[in-house]
Amino acid sequence: MANPLLDHWYRLLAGRSRRQHHDGEEQPLPDLAGEQATAGILLVLRRMRVPLIVLILIFAVSVLGLTLVPGVDAEGHPARLSIFDAFYFMSYTATTIGFGELPYPFTDAQRMWVTASIFLSVIGWAYAIGSLLSLLQDRAFRRAVDRRMFGRKVAHLADPFWLLVGYGETARRIARSLDDLGYRFVVLERDEERVASVDLDDYLADAPAYAGDARSTATLALAGLGHPRCEGVLALSESDDVNLDVAMTTALVRPRLPVIAQTGSAEIEERMHAFGSPEVINPLDRFGDHLRILYRSPAAYQLLGWLTSAPGSPLPARRSPVPPGRWLVCGYGAFGRDVTADLRAEGVDVTVVEGDPVPGTSERFEAEALEAAGLARAAAFVAATDNDMTNLWLVEQARRINPGAFLVARQNKSGNATLYESVGVDLEMVRADVVAHEVLARLAHPALMGFLSRVPGMGEAWAAAMVHTLVERCGTSTPYLWRVALTAEETPALAPWLAGGGVPLADLMRSPQGRDHSLAAVPLALERDGEVTTGPSGEEVLREGDLLLLAGRATARRSLAATLFQETTAAYVIDDRTVPSTWLWRRLSRASR
Amino acid sequence: MNLEKVVFGFFVVLAATLNFGFFIGDLGDPELHNVYELFAAVVVNLIATVLKFGDRTQIGAVHLATSLVASLQLIAAAVVWTWASHVSGAGLTPEATASVVSLSGGALFANVVSVVLLVVETVSFQQRR
Repeated sequence: MANPLLDHWYRLLAGRSRRQHHDGEEQPLPDLAGEQATAGILLVLRRMRVPLIVLILIFAVSVLGLTLVPGVDAEGHPARLSIFDAFYFMSYTATTIGFGELPYPFTDAQRMWVTASIFLSVIGWAYAIGSLLSLLQDRAFRRAVDRRMFGRKVAHLADPFWLLVGYGETARRIARSLDDLGYRFVVLERDEERVASVDLDDYLADAPAYAGDARSTATLALAGLGHPRCEGVLALSESDDVNLDVAMTTALVRPRLPVIAQTGSAEIEERMHAFGSPEVINPLDRFGDHLRILYRSPAAYQLLGWLTSAPGSPLPARRSPVPPGRWLVCGYGAFGRDVTADLRAEGVDVTVVEGDPVPGTSERFEAEALEAAGLARAAAFVAATDNDMTNLWLVEQARRINPGAFLVARQNKSGNATLYESVGVDLEMVRADVVAHEVLARLAHPALMGFLSRVPGMGEAWAAAMVHTLVERCGTSTPYLWRVALTAEETPALAPWLAGGGVPLADLMRSPQGRDHSLAAVPLALERDGEVTTGPSGEEVLREGDLLLLAGRATARRSLAATLFQETTAAYVIDDRTVPSTWLWRRLSRASR
Repeated sequence: MNLEKVVFGFFVVLAATLNFGFFIGDLGDPELHNVYELFAAVVVNLIATVLKFGDRTQIGAVHLATSLVASLQLIAAAVVWTWASHVSGAGLTPEATASVVSLSGGALFANVVSVVLLVVETVSFQQRR
């Protein structure tokens, strides 16, 4: 119920800032609070108008009639009920309470009238209550209530949260990992059944979910895009257009908010980059990179897969090295082209087999064509079409013709996972898997991406040693990642060492429970003046301003925090000295010195 | 002609006229104020209130507010009348009558505002059909 005049003035005054473009400025979002609050109530009031009027009329006619019908008092004198008596009688009769308490017994004329009014009022009540109940079942009403509840839940979120657009296979895995990592999230998904499944998925923290169109800015605002605790947006819907819209809206409205978006098309990726700087994940493209890493070093592939898997996942088995030789790629769509380009960049000899284009479906292949392309002598085979049945057939053919070949297959539908399993391939490209790893790498820690991109270049031996150290110190489930900045604010207890000769990394990593043992953590990378050392050695001496990326158990993080914050612990861990912790003892020990 | 507007206008005006009919006359004289007229005024005001439910516009909101005021005042008048004639034992004394009638006078004022709003709405209505 906005005042049109006020609204006009507001627009006139606010209009001055219209011209300013999105140069890092946060734009106001549509305010939906007032509209939400009244939508449900207004709907109830409007639908209940007729039933309520019917009820009032029936009541009025019954009461009026009862006062007019002649009656007699105890002595037989003619007496009529007063309006109050009639109202009282109708109140307990119409609501079927039926006290049976009256001033005088009714005459037959009064009884006739009462009979009629009882039937009337029962109809009136049934009508009113029926309308109210059917209104509660009403779709429009339920949606209005859902929207309001969702908006209220999101507005009252006090913890930092991520806005998750889409709730398909991939998004679900991300949601599970977010929950495990202790992040809150809000789900916005078009499909109502999927929204209902958010409740069934049983997350530790309450996850508000709403079935709505993420392409509307108002819905995004409702889901907390303008919320001060919103950490970022994950556009993981299956539709590229929706992801593009979400990325663009976020870039325009909240330019500083991080966006991670998935897309299967290079064109959409380009358009996303036109607005702001979202992290775009193209699983078809990224898989080629993963393949390159595996080709170069199976241990690096294992390490990357492990560090970017959901919390608590076991260490994945190390894959056997890819045999050197010629590769055969079947299917030359966007995915096939990417894989081919990536392999050629790695210096691999690749032969591409294109199928005959069949209108309306995917490519079709002849067994003879595969043999003609030299499948029997190929080292590896990639089934890269966008049809699962074709891929399965291709894998089967490849196995028959060349049993020793390394088999790679693209899995398009998650429902076909068991089929691929029973066929048995060496490496599967599963879209949800690739996206999940990529998103987690970006979510876990901003510093992690810098480390991960350096791992493939470190060589097989280094990666294998790193995996070995990590397993030895932290066990085989996914380590926890965190970063420590060696500054006066974050590591006050280290100030004396940092001001002096620095702290040897190996000493810092000793356990406060016993300095002969090492913490259950491994330093992954050391950043100094913008230069990153991957896997710094124990002899490395830490200086003020260094950034350390660590992987380890959560308990190790707490122990390390004790070293970084408590001077006495730091003195014990680094120098094996016992420093008095209270003021009095400190005074005394200084006096005795 | 819009039937909805006819019904709406009818109840708004009828609520005001019935209220006026009950209110007019010497303040303390029970003879001049028929209780059935008060009853009718309460019922018609309640209907008018319900008719105004669910209107999103600014004028609709003020309409609903005035009707709620009138209904509350008239119900208060009916309660005072019931108390005087049934509970107190003294019957409808001039004092009791005066308080019933003055309460209905307050409701009358709200009803007049309602009628004024109705007229304003009609005059400013652009669509001539």
